[in-house]
Formats: sequence, structure tokens, C-alpha cells
Amino acid sequence: MWQYIIRRLVWSLVVVLLVTLLAFIIFYVLPSTDPTIAFAGKQPTPEIRAEVAKNLGLNHSKPVQYLIFVKHLFLGDQYGWPGFGKSFNSREPIKGEMFSRLLVTLQLAIGALIIWLTLGISIGVLSALKRRSAMDRGAMGFALLGISTPVFFLGILGLYLFWKVLGINPGTGYVGFRDNPWDWFQHMWLPWVVLALLSAAVYARIVRGTMLDVMGEDYVRTARAKGVSERNVVIRHMLRPTIAPVLTLAGIDFALLIGGAVVTESVFNLPGIGAYVLDAVGQNDLPVAMGVTVIAAVFVTIMNLIVDIAYGFVDPRVRYT
Amino acid sequence: MKKRRWVIATALAAGAGLVVAGCGGGSGGSSSTGGSGGATPQKGGTLRLETQDFGYTDAFDPTGEYLGLGWGLLNQLMTRTLVGYAHRPNEPGNVLIPDLAESVPAPSADGLTYAFKIKQGVKFGPPLNREITSKDIAFAIERIATPSLAAQYPNYFQNIAGFKAFSDGKAKTITGIQTPDDKTITFKLTKKQGNFVYAMATPAASPMPREVAGCFTKAGDYGRYVISSGPYTFAGSDKLDASSCKTLKPISGFNPTKNQTWVRNPAYDPATDDPKARGAYVDKITYDINTNAKDIFDKIEAGTVDGSPDTPPSDVIQKYATSSSLKNDLKIYSGDRTWYMYMNLTTPPFDDIHVRKAVSYATNKADLQKAWGGPVSGSIATHIAPQTVYHDRFPKDYDPYPYDLTKAADEMKQSKYDTNQDGVCDASACKNIFFVTRNLPQWSAMTPITQANLAKIGIAVTPRELPTSNAYTTIQTTANKVPIAANAGWSKDFADAATFFVLQDGRNILATGNSNYGLIGLTASQATKFKVPYPAGGVPSLDADIDTCSALTDPERIDCFINVDKKSMEQVVSWLPYLFANSVETASPALTNGYVFDQNSGEQAFVNEWVDQSKQK
Amino acid sequence: MSEPLLEVEDLTVQFRTHDGIVRAVDGLSFTVERGESLGVVGESGSGKSVTFMAIMGLLNRDYTLIEGEVRFNGYDLLAMSDKERRAIRGDGIGMVFQDPMTSLHPMYRVGTQIVEAVRTHRDVSKDEAWAEAVEMLRLVGIPSPKERARSYPHEMSGGMRQRVMIAMGLVLRPDLLIADEPTTALDVTVQAQILDLIDDLKRELNIGVVLISHSLGVIADVCQRVMVMYAGRAVELGSRNEVFLTPTHPYTWGLLESIPRVGADHERLIPISGSPPSLIHVPPGCPFNPRCPHRFEPCDRDRPALADRGSGHLDACHLTAEQKADIWGAREAGRTAATP
Repeated sequence: MWQYIIRRLVWSLVVVLLVTLLAFIIFYVLPSTDPTIAFAGKQPTPEIRAEVAKNLGLNHSKPVQYLIFVKHLFLGDQYGWPGFGKSFNSREPIKGEMFSRLLVTLQLAIGALIIWLTLGISIGVLSALKRRSAMDRGAMGFALLGISTPVFFLGILGLYLFWKVLGINPGTGYVGFRDNPWDWFQHMWLPWVVLALLSAAVYARIVRGTMLDVMGEDYVRTARAKGVSERNVVIRHMLRPTIAPVLTLAGIDFALLIGGAVVTESVFNLPGIGAYVLDAVGQNDLPVAMGVTVIAAVFVTIMNLIVDIAYGFVDPRVRYT
Repeated sequence: MKKRRWVIATALAAGAGLVVAGCGGGSGGSSSTGGSGGATPQKGGTLRLETQDFGYTDAFDPTGEYLGLGWGLLNQLMTRTLVGYAHRPNEPGNVLIPDLAESVPAPSADGLTYAFKIKQGVKFGPPLNREITSKDIAFAIERIATPSLAAQYPNYFQNIAGFKAFSDGKAKTITGIQTPDDKTITFKLTKKQGNFVYAMATPAASPMPREVAGCFTKAGDYGRYVISSGPYTFAGSDKLDASSCKTLKPISGFNPTKNQTWVRNPAYDPATDDPKARGAYVDKITYDINTNAKDIFDKIEAGTVDGSPDTPPSDVIQKYATSSSLKNDLKIYSGDRTWYMYMNLTTPPFDDIHVRKAVSYATNKADLQKAWGGPVSGSIATHIAPQTVYHDRFPKDYDPYPYDLTKAADEMKQSKYDTNQDGVCDASACKNIFFVTRNLPQWSAMTPITQANLAKIGIAVTPRELPTSNAYTTIQTTANKVPIAANAGWSKDFADAATFFVLQDGRNILATGNSNYGLIGLTASQATKFKVPYPAGGVPSLDADIDTCSALTDPERIDCFINVDKKSMEQVVSWLPYLFANSVETASPALTNGYVFDQNSGEQAFVNEWVDQSKQK
Repeated sequence: MSEPLLEVEDLTVQFRTHDGIVRAVDGLSFTVERGESLGVVGESGSGKSVTFMAIMGLLNRDYTLIEGEVRFNGYDLLAMSDKERRAIRGDGIGMVFQDPMTSLHPMYRVGTQIVEAVRTHRDVSKDEAWAEAVEMLRLVGIPSPKERARSYPHEMSGGMRQRVMIAMGLVLRPDLLIADEPTTALDVTVQAQILDLIDDLKRELNIGVVLISHSLGVIADVCQRVMVMYAGRAVELGSRNEVFLTPTHPYTWGLLESIPRVGADHERLIPISGSPPSLIHVPPGCPFNPRCPHRFEPCDRDRPALADRGSGHLDACHLTAEQKADIWGAREAGRTAATP
């Protein structure tokens, strides 16, 4: 088992490095403004551009720049470890800003995760148990709606309804939990729901399908033949095989939210890492883009690993050597 | 100038062609709808602003900021300069007045020496709380001359004797700056520079404390530690430990990705300032980032936010312009900005002046204005720099190229590219002409109009719509030889026409990052160096005229440049200006009566605005 | 003799389907005694599994109609509430299914699954239940039962898994064990072991066993009495020797003729022509009538009741006992004689 984990971790490292290399190449290959011009001001004379290049670390050849980036990443730079350098745009060290933004996105993602798992699994299970009932049809209709409605539309609709019309939501923005827990919650519940609704719908459908398969399994018949109550048949025998694949899905989806919640972050003005990197890419701010890429890649690969290992615990047929 | 601002401004004013002409803003230029509506200013309260993006060009370091908003905030709130502005709309806002100096000096008889006397009782705010001296201003100039700080306008200061030597590291001080005592500072120039006093009004020339600013030698780093000499300072500046460079920590009132907060500067003495220039009514100013653009303007309308420097989306502008209750909250002022097309003097068929004049006559500017959104967005441009830059002295009815297809045909007939002289361009050079423009709504709306206009004289362009920064990069690369483009615009650095004619100076042509897109004043050797063709008849130049005018001071300077403008329009004919843009913003019910426009920066005059606290939500 | 362990009288099970009402079991009656194995043989669709699923209450009541009487230890199972019936499942009657790989839950240890059976019906601690489970595993012949109890089903061989299923079915010492095709999914060599095990346990625990199979060989091996089912009905019911040596129903004859016999050289296998009838539109008369080579006048009108017509055991055929003996004798002779 430990051998397996070590091997996976090493491979994850390789993957993360490859991703950063790709991001680096994309930044320079895709047509965009040369940073030495973009950040040089009104008249980008060669002297000013040389100064800017030196300041931003662009005065080396591109391969060397990449190697310096990797070196700073592993060994840290003048701002600490890991060394993400400073933003071209704000000239600030990126590390602090990135981790505080990551925290916001994590808050958003975890809250949404809890909601969509609870909602998705319960709706899916109930729909399967009461197949073809009015509840089932209603739930699947809701699922279709949830999958089809874009997040930004749902978000703006939610804001309009709860903030403008009903006045029970304080609107966009973020308030730290330590500053005011109640205010924090008030600002977060609507983004949570909006972000969760799409996934809840998808998961409800998946869980329903899986549950229907499980309901027809032989071991369910055996459980009933043992005299187990219907309630325990559902809880002990049906839920585990249904939820196991869903949990691995959820792990990946959660990791993807690290970069992927950008639309929700923009609509609700939450200073998350998705909005951070979106701004940075639009402004050709390479260090921020690279830093966020690293964080997101690390997250996804680690989450992958965790999910795979966790599945082995839930389903003993899956074992790693 | 202010390229960045346009990205936000114009992108959001998308498709404002929906705004019906005649509603709201009235004729462009310097109209204002509902300025300070006569009510008495209220003292106190908080001015709450939001933006999608600060857009600072040097992270708020005064040495490197060059866009209007950075200048406005610094000049109004934090960085007093020897001479400054009244922070008011129109011409009164473009006139230099004394700020830290006791008066606006005239140069010496030979035009090479400028002497300033600094007022008593002017101090740096927390945490320093000390008197400002002439050495602080000398230090600011040294920062401009320090290459690693990438100052933005070194060319306005490089005529100071010893500037270059300091820049090259050959001298420890700038010999041309003399500080005989704490309150006197004298500048000796190596050659006449008529707009030198304007240069001293930029934030880069404001006094900076060596004990704090001297700790930062890289561009942008000082931005979070700016020590104020103005009526406001960053919240939390009193907590800054300035005992040494190592103890400095960023001031809490400025978080580059989240917000800026200003509170009153206790060291500021209003008696040393002009209350009309800096009213300083509000106690606090908050400026927050909100990534949801629509949300910003919803909040302004609801009154939970007071204003934004961002241009509102077109539907918001239309709503305000057509609503009787909201009309007065839509604030429109001349933006001191020209949108123009240019023709490359070295690429056929535009290397022939008759073709260029024909194009100028054939362009229907009224249609282009409609495509942009009608009179709300700006007035039709008929010369290079807007009226305000000439302090209202430019002849009001000047229009060298009124829309006239007959005249266009007549010009074309005289061109070698019209082989059969029928008024229509028919040589092969008249077809498949590469035409660069932006892929934003107003520009996309203009493209078919331009194509139709040019088709009438036989010129067929192939438009290429690009994102803003790519469009600029394309035309800025001289070797690309882009013949004609419509994506460019320019606004003043300060109310001096020289700041426009830097774009038409042949000596400023670069291989990349070039701003003289038409290659006006190109020499034969430059043509070889930059790999562009050199037309047989040569390329017209304004260099000598620019030099003549640059040595003069106002008002002769202004009139001199007016003639350069006319010459550019009539004899060079590279630029085809079409719009003098307006600044369009919305104000909340609490701000609408206290809203003031700062003509110098092209932004709100935050320092002169007041809020009706009873109307704030 | 004491009261039979299980007494089924006129059991009828109907399913409501899209195509119509299916009579899966049609007026079935039989008994099971303590200490004996009853073999229930028939092809797919004969109703043999459905019968016992209905008896156990494992059919979905929403679209099933069950009629008749089923007496177990004196109680009428069909008249009970769901809760009462559930109390009997696993405790009074144990069940073993066909494929132990899919019939055991893949995610729980086998010991845990047996413990669940125990604790569903008995108020004992986990440790006590676990000890019971280990003891049962030992009883069914699993080596190192304490370690094995912690295994997962996929870590065991097919034969071992079936032993686990049997252990699970018998851990609460039920009075009746129903084994539905317990060896069909196993290797031939393992089959014998399992059948022996069931037999030993039957004697040891003194219980009744129902062994359902489509394989005559399995039935002949271990069962004392045999019931042959066709189209949801019992067509022959008697002792093993009676049914195998002196069968008295044309269907049974056909069955016996279609399996090879050990020791016979070059015999021809004679399949039964035709196919089983539809259970939706059940024609009157004998269900085997269309395929029976010996049908005569009453066969298509009168349904033959399951009765002793003089042969010594029960059958559902209008032929007389003498006729049956003759025909069977002739068929047997013809079969061994038919060598090329």
C-alpha cells in the first residue's frame, strides 16, 4: 500500500511539472501582449523595456525563465516557500494573496460540496426507491432544469430574487468568517446553493441510476431472505455500493472547483482563486497564472490519489499493490 | 495615454448605439448634466466607490502611474505638487494654480531656469508628520531618473541639467536641481521646454520622503507605502513603522487586489491650500473591487454604492438617459481623448496625399458617431487634439474635411492610383488593404461604415478585428507595415498639445512599441532600419515645427501648436480623427448633487465631492 | 407421524404484467417433513423458484397475487403480516441461493454478514454473534474459521462461498432450509461436497430441506422425495425410487429419457418435442397435453388432479396405473435397444 502511495505521489509531481511547462508554453505561444511592453507604460522605449524585463525577471531566455520558476517553486524565493514570485501587475508577492484567495474558494467549494452531496444523494435514493412516482418524476425534472441552467444565469436570478426583490440577502461580496460569522454565512449561502444546484442535479440522476442497479442485485435478495428489515436493507446493503462511486466523482469535482468556480466567484464578487487567475490571464500577469496553475494541478492530483485510495477502503474488491 | 482605461471604459460602453441621439448628454464637448446642483456641500460621511479593476500601471507608485485614475487619486488626495490644478470641470480644471509653491513661476529671461518657493506649514502625514522640504522634491526627481523605477515621463524631465548623468550612474545628484534652503528649489534646463511647469504638476514630481521611498528601488514597490502630503492618507498609515527600511510593512489601507481606504490626514493644514481646489468634504473614501460589473451599477442605482470610475454598460446608460428620474444622475463631460484612424504614409495607396485626402472627404463621421452611441459618447472630431487641450482657443468651426463625395472623387482623380481619372481608385494597390480594428462592439459597428465609405472611392479594405491589446501590438510593430487601422486613441497627459504631438514626431519611431503609427517624419535611414519602404516623394515631417513650439510658453505655445494641428490635418493627412470622447459615469442619489469632474485627470474630483448622508443606503 | 413441517395447499401465484396475467404457480399442493429432503425438479419457468419466493414473502406484493394456504409449524404464512413473516425469514426458514458470488455482499466481510443474520433475530452482543458465526463456519467445513470469517467474498473460492451461504442460512438453526439451485454455479467436484454437506447438516440439525434444481442427477443424489413441476403445477410427487424407477407421468418419462445414463453404451437421447406452454393464456385440460405422445380424449378438457391412481404415489395424468407401467416399460426397452 505505501509503495503504491509513494509511486503515485512521484507520478503526481511529474504531472504537475508537465502542467506548469504546458502553461508556460501556452502563455508565450498564444498571441498576447509582450509583458515588457504591457507593463512599460506610455512610450515603451527600449531602455524602459529593458528595465521592466530586469524587474520582472524576463531578461533571461525562455527556457531559463522556466527553470528559474521551477527552482523557486521547490526552494523558495525571497518571499518564502513555495516561491511564487511577485505579480507583474501589482508588484506584490503572490504567495500571501494566493493562499488567502484559495481559502475563500475552499469555503465556497466545501459548502457547495456538502449541499450537493446531501441533496443529490437523498433525491437520487428516494427517486429510485419510489420509481415512477410523482416525486420521482418531479425530481428528475428538477435535475434536468439544474443541469441545463447556466451558473451565471442562476446566480444573477438568485441575486435579483433574494437581494433586490425580497431583500433578505445582503448582495455580493465577501465577509471573512472571523470578522462576522453571521454576515459571512449570509454572503455565502446563495453562492453555495447556486454552485451546488448544478452538481446536485447531476448527482441525483447518477445516484438514481446506480441505486436502481443495486436494487436488483442478488445480495439484496439475500438480505431480505435473512429477514433484515427493509429500512436496514436500504441503509446497509444498498447505500454503500451506491454512494461509493459517487464519492470518488465528488472528490474529483471538488478538486476541479478550485479553478472552476470562477463564474460563481465573478457573479458574487467573491475574491476567490478562480477570479484571481482570470484577471491575471487577461492582464498577461504570468507569475499569477503559473502560481494558480501549480496550486490547481497539485490539488487535482492529490485529490485523485485520495479518492483512489479511499475507494479501496470502501470497496474491498479494489486493492492496490 | 490612458490606453488601459479605454479597455474597461469602452468595453463596457458596448453597443451604446442604442442610446437615442438628443437624449441625456446633449451635444458632446463639455456639457454636464446636473453638476453640483446648487445645494450646499455637506461635510462628513464616507464616499463609497467600486470598480471592476484598479488598473494601476505602477501599483500606485507615483513615479510610475500614468493613467488618469491613478493621477486623479494621487494628485487630489495624497500627492501635492509644486503647482497643481483646481480639480474642476472644463477649462478651469486645466489651468495650473499654485499648490505647494507660493506661485506659478515664469521661466527666467533665457527660458532655462525655473525657481519655486515652497510654502511654510506643509507637512508629510503619518507616520512621519514632518515638514516638507525642497530636498524631498529633488529626491522625487532623482527617482524619475532612476532606471530601475521605470518612471513614465522621463522625457519631460530629461532637459534638467545633469539628469542623464544621474540616470547613467555617473553622478550622485542631479546638478541642475539646486536646493539652497529648505523652502527654495531651482531647476536649470539645458534647453527651452515650454511645458516644464506642467511636468512639475505630475504626481511623479510630488515630494517623496527618502526615509520611506528610498527603501524601494524597483518599480511599483513603493505603492503600498505612499506617504501623503494631501488632505487624505491611507487608513492605517499611522501604524507604519518607518524607523528603518526593514521594519516597513504594507499599509493596511491599500490591498492591491481588494480595496483602498483613505481617511483624513491629520498633518494637512487647509490654510496652506486652496479650498476651491481641495474641498475635502468627506471624512473617508472607500474604493473596493467588485468583479461583477452589473452589480456595481445596480448598487449605485440602489444607493448602496456612490459611484464608480468605470463606464457603465450600454443598457445602464440607456436606462438613465431615457428616465426622467435618473437623467440627472448620468454625468457626461469631455474626456480630452481623441479616437482616430490613421493611414501609413509609406504603404500604397496611402503614400499619395491625394488618396489620403480623398479618404478624409469620403468618411462620414456622423455615421461613425452614431455607431459609437451618438452624442452621449462624444462629439465629432475635426482636428488632432480636443478643444480643452488648447484651453478653448482652437477655432470653433474648423472642419477641413466635411463629408463630401464629390470632393473625394476630385482628390482621387489627381492620384496616380486612379489610372483612368474617374474618381475611383483602380490600381491593384487599392484592393485587399489590410485594416486593423478592435473586436469590441463600437468598433465592429464602425467597420461596415468605413468599408462602405471607402468603397465609394474604390478602396477595398480587408478588416481584421482583434482584441484590444493584440490590435495595439500589431500596429505598434513597424515592420508589419499596417496600412490603415481604426483601433487607436489618445488622451492628454496634461493640457498641452505637445503631449499629443509626441505621436507625430519622427524621432519617436520605434521598431516595436511604436506609437507614431503613420510614420510621420520618417527619414530614409530610419526606413532602412525599420524595414519599411521609403516613398519616392519622401515623407512629410512635423519635427521642426514641434521643436519650435516646444520652446514656447503659453499662450504663444498654444497658438503655435494650433498651427501644427492644422498643418497635420491639411498637409500631412495621416491622422483621420473622428470622435472626441466623453467621460460617462453614473452617480448614486447621495452623490448626484455633490458630483464634480476633474478635467485634469479625466476622472471624478473625489477631493471636491460631497455626499448627502441621509440618502446613503 | 407428527405434523408436517411445511404444508402447502392449493398455492396459486399470479403476476400482473404488461402482456397480461401470468399464472406462475397454479394450484400447487405438497408437504415437507422434518428430517427429509424434498427435491423440486423442473425446467426454467416451471414455477419452482417462484413457489418458494412466494412462501418466503420475497415477492413484490404490488403486482403479485398469492392465494392458497401455506402452513409452517402450524402458522399460515400467507395470512401473516409482513413483519411476522420477516421474523420467520432467516430464523424459522433459511434460504440458500444459486450464485454465492453475487448473493453475498461484496463490501462486507463474510463474518459480518453472518453476524447480521444473527443479530436481526436475536438480542445478543456483537462478540457473541461473531462467535456463533465462527462456529457455524466451522460446522460447514471451512478451515481456520476464525481467520476466514474476516475474509471478503471475493477472497474465497466458489465452493467456500457457498458454504458461507449455507452457514448464513443455518446459523439460527431454522427448521427448514430452502436451497435454490445451490450447486448450479459450482464445479462438478465441488457440487458433490456441497450436497454432502447439506445432507450431513440435515441429519445433524434434524431439519427439513427443500432442494430445487433443474438437474435430475443432483436430485437423485440426495433427496428422499421428489416433486416434478411443469407449467406451475406438480405433475408427479413421490419417493425418490418411485419417481426415478417407476415414473408415472409422460413428462417425467421425457425428462428421464433426455439425460444420459452412466454405464449405458450408445444410447440415444430423446428430447421432448415442443416447448412449455404460455402461462398467460392457460388452456384448459392437462398442461402437458400438446406435447404428450400418449394423450387421449379427456386430456384437452379435464385438468388431471394430483392423485394416487393406483401406482402407489401421486401423479397428475389421466392414464391408468397399468397403462403407465406398460408404456414406461416399452419406452425403457426401446431406449436401450435403439443402438445402431
